[in-house]
Amino acid sequence: MKKIFSFIAVCAIALSAAAVLTSGKKADKDTQAYRYDIEYVKTAGDGIVEVRVASYAKKQAVALEQCTKNAVHGVIFKGYAGGGSAQSALSKEPGGEAAHADFYKAFFADNGGYRQYVTAVQSESATYMKVGKEFKVSETIYVNKKALRKALESAGIIRGLSSGF
Amino acid sequence: MKKIILAIIFAVMSIAAMAQAKKPTIMVMPSDLWCNKNGFMEIYDNQGVEEPIPNYRMALISSDELLPVISQINGLMADRGFPLKNLESEIKAISQNSAEMAAVTSKDGGGIQTNPLMQLRQRANADIIIQITWTVNTVGPKRSVTYTMQGLDSYTSKEIATSTGTGTPSFTAETAVLLSEAVSQHIDEFCDRLQAHFDDLFENGREVALAINVFENDDDIDLESEFDGKELREIIEDWICDNTVSHRYHLADDNEYYMNFDEVRIPLYDEKGRPIAANNFARDLVKYLKGAPCTIAKVKAMNQGQGKATLIIGNK
Repeated sequence: MKKIFSFIAVCAIALSAAAVLTSGKKADKDTQAYRYDIEYVKTAGDGIVEVRVASYAKKQAVALEQCTKNAVHGVIFKGYAGGGSAQSALSKEPGGEAAHADFYKAFFADNGGYRQYVTAVQSESATYMKVGKEFKVSETIYVNKKALRKALESAGIIRGLSSGF
Repeated sequence: MKKIILAIIFAVMSIAAMAQAKKPTIMVMPSDLWCNKNGFMEIYDNQGVEEPIPNYRMALISSDELLPVISQINGLMADRGFPLKNLESEIKAISQNSAEMAAVTSKDGGGIQTNPLMQLRQRANADIIIQITWTVNTVGPKRSVTYTMQGLDSYTSKEIATSTGTGTPSFTAETAVLLSEAVSQHIDEFCDRLQAHFDDLFENGREVALAINVFENDDDIDLESEFDGKELREIIEDWICDNTVSHRYHLADDNEYYMNFDEVRIPLYDEKGRPIAANNFARDLVKYLKGAPCTIAKVKAMNQGQGKATLIIGNK
């Protein structure tokens, strides 16, 4: 009997772990498909920008975690607007994401390089909203855009203002 | 053997250095509008005509806001790998130059004629001038700053980049802080436009204007004079066509006494890697006209700034 309980418990843990992994992968696919919202809040000084990001997932925890990734993704690929200000994406090259697919795959992997540029997450600012079968989780995140730009320029992923000189 | 290897290394390094284009120089200045609004203009008597000229030196030593905003833009541009020329240092160099020039007199005691703008242009000849204007808006206790930043190409006087916006209103922040925030908030779009201008320069060359004028001359040469069966204006146009990037130029107007070319796209650098201005381009044309088949002896290029030159054929 004990063995049966143990087996069921292991199965349950494995299934929930698989569900988290699957939803994580789904969230990454959403990121790649630009299925998230990013809004400019303010410039916090020395190249750090404050953005409000909304991510969608069936699990609140997954959506919340994905917000940090989406913040950096948005700054690189999407650009953002809000409060009468608009800033274009760092990557302006059409098809830049596909051209440097290997770099971005490693960069946006879980615990990848993108985390280095998220300077602060205001977890207390998170809001949760049920949208159909999913949760829309919004969070305020600080991204070090200056350092991110420099890193991408020195890696040859994006062109700098002084490129060509 | 060692010498040969060293010579090869030196040659390779020289070629590599030449292949890399020089960065255009950029300088931040307050606009004439801002100088006028804040009382930093002086009247210059230009041969009987009174002309208002911005007094940058006075603005720099009197305004609490100008220096922080210049420093802010300098810092932001340096972060992008573009350290800028400093207006204050340029002004100091001009003052020193003025003192030296004042000491120079002709044999009959006459001094060298100049004006503040000419002096500034002589020294502060940045390729791109970033001109900044701002106004402070007050709504009740809240203050915000509306600013405009214009990137002007010194060669053509065209506006190549611009950014304008209003910063976040604040109850407490100083104007300098508000301005600094507004600039940081909008510098990206300015740099994007500057980047587009640089891309255009690399692809299509620098844009200048060139005028050809004919003065009365003893040889009766005008632009319709024929050399080897071709009119002079045809020869000049052919030369310009051959020496512009992708043969890009526009002959705006011409007759037997003058030709006006605009949108002339000249290469950024010569074969030695030196930047080419309109004057250098015109001088090459002078050399060509002095040679066969034209062999025009009386022809000279007149410098009218980095982006414009006039060629004078005949007596002057």
